Amino acid sequence: MKDTIVAPATAAGTAAVGILRLSGEDALSVAAKVFAAKGWSAETAEPYRMYLGKADAGNFADKAFCMYCKAPKSYTGEDVVEFHLHGGKVVLDGLLRRLVALGARPALPGEFTKRAYLNGKLDLAEAEGIEDMISAGSEAEAMQAYRMMGGEVSKGIERVKEFLIEAAANIDAVLDYPEELTDDNMPLIEAALTEAKAELTRLYEGSKDRRMLKEGLSLVLAGLTNVGKSSLMNALLRDDRAIVTDIAGTTRDVLRESFELEGVTINVSDTAGIREGSDEVERIGIARAERAIEGADLVIFVTDCSVPESEEERALYAKIRHKKHIRVANKGDAEKYPREADIVTEAKTGANIDALTALIADKLELKKRLETPILTRERQIFAVKAAADHVDSALGAIGAAGLDCLAVDVKAAWAELCSLTGEDVAESVVDEIFSRFCVGK
Amino acid sequence: MIYDYDAIVIGAGHAGAEAAHVLAKTGKRTLLLSLSLEAVAFMACNPNVGGTAKGHLVKEVDALGGIMGEIADRATIQRRMLNAGNGPAVHSLRAQVDKNLYHRLMKRKLELTDGLDITEAEAAEILIDNGAVCGVKTAMGKTYSARAVVMATGVYLDARIITGEYVRATGPAGFMRSTALTANLLALGLDIRRFKTGTPMRILSSSIDYGAMEEQCGEEGLPAFSMLTEDEVRNDKKCWLTYTNARTHKIILDNLSRAPMYNGEISGVGPRYCPSIETKVVRFADKERHQVFIEPEGADTEEMYAQGLSTSLPYDVQEEMVHSIRGLEKAKITRYGYAIEYDCLNPLELNAGLGVKKYKGLYSAGQINGSSGYEEAAAQGLVAGINASRYLDGKEPFVMRRDESYIGVLIDDLVTKGTEEPYRMMTSRAEYRLHLRQDNADLRLTAKGRELGTVDDERYSKYIKKVAEIAEIREALKHRYKPEEVEEVFTAKGETLPGGSISGEEILRRGRLSARELLMIDPAFSKYDYDAFFNVATEIRYEGYLVKEQRTIKEAQRMEEKRLSPDIDYSSIEGIRKEAREKLDAVKPMTVAQAARISGVNSADVTVLLLWLRKREAATAVSAKSEENGKDGE
Repeated sequence: MKDTIVAPATAAGTAAVGILRLSGEDALSVAAKVFAAKGWSAETAEPYRMYLGKADAGNFADKAFCMYCKAPKSYTGEDVVEFHLHGGKVVLDGLLRRLVALGARPALPGEFTKRAYLNGKLDLAEAEGIEDMISAGSEAEAMQAYRMMGGEVSKGIERVKEFLIEAAANIDAVLDYPEELTDDNMPLIEAALTEAKAELTRLYEGSKDRRMLKEGLSLVLAGLTNVGKSSLMNALLRDDRAIVTDIAGTTRDVLRESFELEGVTINVSDTAGIREGSDEVERIGIARAERAIEGADLVIFVTDCSVPESEEERALYAKIRHKKHIRVANKGDAEKYPREADIVTEAKTGANIDALTALIADKLELKKRLETPILTRERQIFAVKAAADHVDSALGAIGAAGLDCLAVDVKAAWAELCSLTGEDVAESVVDEIFSRFCVGK
Repeated sequence: MIYDYDAIVIGAGHAGAEAAHVLAKTGKRTLLLSLSLEAVAFMACNPNVGGTAKGHLVKEVDALGGIMGEIADRATIQRRMLNAGNGPAVHSLRAQVDKNLYHRLMKRKLELTDGLDITEAEAAEILIDNGAVCGVKTAMGKTYSARAVVMATGVYLDARIITGEYVRATGPAGFMRSTALTANLLALGLDIRRFKTGTPMRILSSSIDYGAMEEQCGEEGLPAFSMLTEDEVRNDKKCWLTYTNARTHKIILDNLSRAPMYNGEISGVGPRYCPSIETKVVRFADKERHQVFIEPEGADTEEMYAQGLSTSLPYDVQEEMVHSIRGLEKAKITRYGYAIEYDCLNPLELNAGLGVKKYKGLYSAGQINGSSGYEEAAAQGLVAGINASRYLDGKEPFVMRRDESYIGVLIDDLVTKGTEEPYRMMTSRAEYRLHLRQDNADLRLTAKGRELGTVDDERYSKYIKKVAEIAEIREALKHRYKPEEVEEVFTAKGETLPGGSISGEEILRRGRLSARELLMIDPAFSKYDYDAFFNVATEIRYEGYLVKEQRTIKEAQRMEEKRLSPDIDYSSIEGIRKEAREKLDAVKPMTVAQAARISGVNSADVTVLLLWLRKREAATAVSAKSEENGKDGE
């Protein structure tokens, strides 16, 4: 018999809402000992419905939502009860202690997931998605982990598997029924493999965004000296981290700070202003600035509207224009020499800074990035890459090697993906052949 | 106790013949029982041996000392190599065989086998004593005692044939059926099911207008099935190809209510890969025509087999349907097509050695195991015979892995996954297809057969010679050719000419060139054995792919090495889902790899099983250690 376990389902720390989760045969009866709500009892609780009531932690009581998920349709596959409480360590810990006193056992790390896995409620990719969510730092990473749980990656992978099985069935049907299938189905095979490749590439490219979730994106402020980059950085950070003076060349090195945008960490670097004939220290700073520009996800090119556009400014812009960038015309209050710009700001007063952050989010395609399924584990990335390589090699072998060799690559790609979802590879090409082709004499 | 025989084989079809032969060959006094001696190795359906995947099975049976290959070679009247253009792994030899001759040659072969008696009798009861086989009782009432029995009853158990409204309790082709054994098997507590298969009509050759059909001749220069065959294999008979048409399909659809497959008369499960023409027309309604191959039933008969027209429609619909086909307008049907239903075992009753798990000494092979096809039957017959023989010697069963042979794939599929329809071998079922080729069947298996005692001196010395010849060919491939020597062939194939000299091996690695082109450049290679030369050429040409496959084979072998005792009580392993526990208990896998292949056992179950094994190993180690320590203390 499995005992009933309990643990917070939300990360420790201060948050608006904290969730406690009970799982096991006695989840509901233990919950009934602490929770009271109108029309709610262990016998009458309607599954998958939130009840608002009171949770009694013994020495205090708190308003709480309670939801019951009936086995096997629950996260762990067992009876699960969740309490949604006010956030904060005191409330959560208090109720947890009470539930343990009433017979629940504190869960071991990962025990919910393990139970879910053992009850066949999770495939491996989902399990790893949950693992990632548990350790998720920022909001977006948590969202991403959720999408994994919902199987966004699995869906993409299922699509690839469909293309691969189509290719495999077309190959094997011919090999097993060479006399009956005399039509040239190579174009079909090639088309299916090309589609599979495209989808795998999409998944793989998406995985690069994992870095964005883990490490954030880099934003570099560039421009000539004394155009107000540091003020702009301060405005973005809404802080006074960078030293701002009117003396050109104040920022001698690359300053780094970060802020959250749509839940994604944006690392901002304020570079030394670039100007000719500066001193040794500054020259090193400038070299670093150029490197920072090269490595940036987005460059903000800042110009000063109070002075005319110089040759130097045009030369610097030429170094930046191949990068993804935003042209900011700063010091809007003294706009004597308007520039061709994406946005005009007054960093010192904070004017138009909100519009700038919106533009940054837009340029960094944060929305789109967050919607693309992202592979979050090294193993997944490895498998998708390996599958893509196999498909590549299959595409390359068309016409050069026999169909039997082609099949080796297609099936290898397929096996990689099956290993990813923890599914059995037993799925049969044979079934596919008979559903697609009229063969057999 | 003195037994009448060491082993008894029930049924003398393609499975029974191999089983009886190999038992006798390994020194066991064997009795072969057949309902009719006219039905020994009778080909009740198509007049072919081999074809895709099946050709591989025949080669493997031959490599292990079986007899199907040599008899097929001697009874062949036309042959072709299927898939010659689709890659070396799937080259499949297919022979048109004279059915009558095949039966006569096989019967004679068995009659001349030392230690083998053949008797016409119906087996009625398998005698069991204390969980082990002790003999067979015939319908006449005679009892034969023996410690091992191989069941190879084919489609004869409680069989009935159906042609439209006509239903008859009989075996195939007018042979009598077996009526007593099913009840006995049920009484033994075995899981019996009902399968269905079918056969097309036969047509009188002189009534066919061949001028309206496409002619198909045999191919020359092909290897034989058996490495023992040295005589020229006959190859002079022709086949023809014609097609059904819209009218044929309309006739079938108009009469569907009279089709036993669709009006509920047939309840047995039919195979998808061998569909009746009515099934093809219904399931693939948009297909404008279906192929019909007209093939000779033999060299000295006027009967032709209408491959592709398998049917159980009533006789009048069969006539109308046949007459609607080009070239068959005036065809005279000599035998009508029929469906046949029969009892068979759930193969999950068997272990990987084809032994019935519930009883010691009881083995089973061929269509009774839910398979179909002569070649599939022969392959199982050989393995069941070998294992019955090993059982008598007190030895472990002989089990081939999936990466060793098609036979290994066939048996593993049957006993691990079971089957819901008659099982046919297909190359797509073999995950290590590139390794399991016709040209290396002997290289994969003959040395094993030698160890098993099934490969005699003649076969073994031929194998040794081939191995030596392969080494010789590899050496010969190092010879370098001047650019002008290869120019003609290279240019014809659009290959770029080499800058300097080029070796035979390098030629084989060129994308557009193959063994055939090398033979044109240097005809000296034609002196070598076809399979030997082809083997070397393939291994060189496809080295990259073979290495790729080899890697996955090695990975899989780790799981194959983790053995599971048949005594494990899976129901007691907590953490494995109930469904999986039941499946594991039903199959009683021999290895973790086999356990993982069971449908309904997922990777989480396997992980739990591995953890359980780990824990048990640890516990055993601890108790062994403490025992040791205890001894030290004494």
